[in-house]
Amino acid sequence: MTTNRLVDIYTLMERHEREDPQRISFCDVAAEIVHVSGAGVLLQSGGDLVTRFCTSSNVARDLLDFEIAIGEGPGIDASYSGVAIDEGNLMSPATARWSIYTPMAIASGARAVFGFPVRIGAIRFGALSLFRDSPGPLSQAESSDAYLMASVIGRGVLGLQAGAPRGALAKEIELQSTLDFSVHQAAGMVAVQGSMTIRDALVSLRAHAFATSATLSVLSERVVARRTRYVRDTGVWEDDYERSMP
Amino acid sequence: MARESLLIATLVELADNLVDNYDVIDVLSVLSDRCVQAIDVDAAGVMLASPGGELQFVASSSESMRLLELFQIQADEGPCVDCYRDGRAILNHSLTEPDEKWPRFTPEALAQGFRAVNCLPMRLRGRTIGALNLFRTQQGELDDDDVLVAQGLADVATIAILQHQSALDADVLNVQLSNALNSRIIIEQAKGMISQAADCDINQAFGRLRAYARNHNEGLTTVAHRVVEGQLLVSDLDRKSQA
Repeated sequence: MTTNRLVDIYTLMERHEREDPQRISFCDVAAEIVHVSGAGVLLQSGGDLVTRFCTSSNVARDLLDFEIAIGEGPGIDASYSGVAIDEGNLMSPATARWSIYTPMAIASGARAVFGFPVRIGAIRFGALSLFRDSPGPLSQAESSDAYLMASVIGRGVLGLQAGAPRGALAKEIELQSTLDFSVHQAAGMVAVQGSMTIRDALVSLRAHAFATSATLSVLSERVVARRTRYVRDTGVWEDDYERSMP
Repeated sequence: MARESLLIATLVELADNLVDNYDVIDVLSVLSDRCVQAIDVDAAGVMLASPGGELQFVASSSESMRLLELFQIQADEGPCVDCYRDGRAILNHSLTEPDEKWPRFTPEALAQGFRAVNCLPMRLRGRTIGALNLFRTQQGELDDDDVLVAQGLADVATIAILQHQSALDADVLNVQLSNALNSRIIIEQAKGMISQAADCDINQAFGRLRAYARNHNEGLTTVAHRVVEGQLLVSDLDRKSQA
């Protein structure tokens, strides 16, 4: 049965890749196969560096970005713990957790969320984060399909990396994470603006994004575009500031 | 609660076994079956090139000994060899005797009742890695839709191979991926710091980083790391490459 389901998954991947060769299809296929409203994949490297890889929709992207920014949510938990995460009823959760993520997810329309670690054997490097706009657990078959999909994604990501020149990140992975890189550029800028470490700069960025109900990506792009900056002396953030002449 | 955890742990283990016992032969056999179901052909099989460049039979829609012999002949001659070598599909090839091109393959195929053969290349990153072979007992051509479906199925087979390969190289690839991701992130952070401190745009910041790396014969990531750690001041970076 697994073999048949794998062939189903590969067939869907081929169809998506044929229709849109530029788009990474993993998340689209995952959402279709598991019957959920949206899917996202995050990659985790070196301890606490987490990057968005792909998402099936704008809502899925915003939800995943939020998870990554605040460090809470099904994908984050699945990636760190290595076990599957199951919250079939966000409005009335079985386990008390995610005090910041939950209201945000509900506001985005999610009623159930699930996370599956992405790995090959013992090697873990991310997670598949799923959400549904109606409450309820995954069925046996859907759960099984989600595990399978996480495995396919794991091999797929490594397969992409296999095509990259030595020491470089695969182009496909880089392109998907492009917006994410602006977060790190912004962190570099804020680190200098505030005379702080990169880590503290990231925390400041996240806090300000949350406080202004902006996504981390949008705020980061503003910082890089020099439309928002952190002022060390006052500790406040300034929008549309005048750049002093060099 | 404890019982639930035990159940979940058992399910996780089960799932692990299922997906890690990835049987590429099994997958390609199922795929070959689907070829026969999906399009107007009577037998299908997958051949893959070994590292030495020789085609080897991997899986087919039927395990009949006679069909397997037909694939074995194709290690030396036949539509798969031509398709693999040229990287181009062979479509609707009618089998007739005598055949100078395939003196062993054609008589054997005809003896087994096949009248036409098709072969689709399996391509990965610009290389042909094998071929999907489709046999018909009827004369006549595959219609346009079937041809598209057939190439699609060859591409599915390629996806299956790539998945298998990734599992084999997982350790190495994961380290490569991890290192590459980390390097990329550090370089982006350094670009941000330089951009702010030197009051230039991100691209110019990258230019300075690269120029320094070249002028001092250091790796880009190493230099970026030193900038991020504060060991290298932005004011130390040159504006232009001095080479």
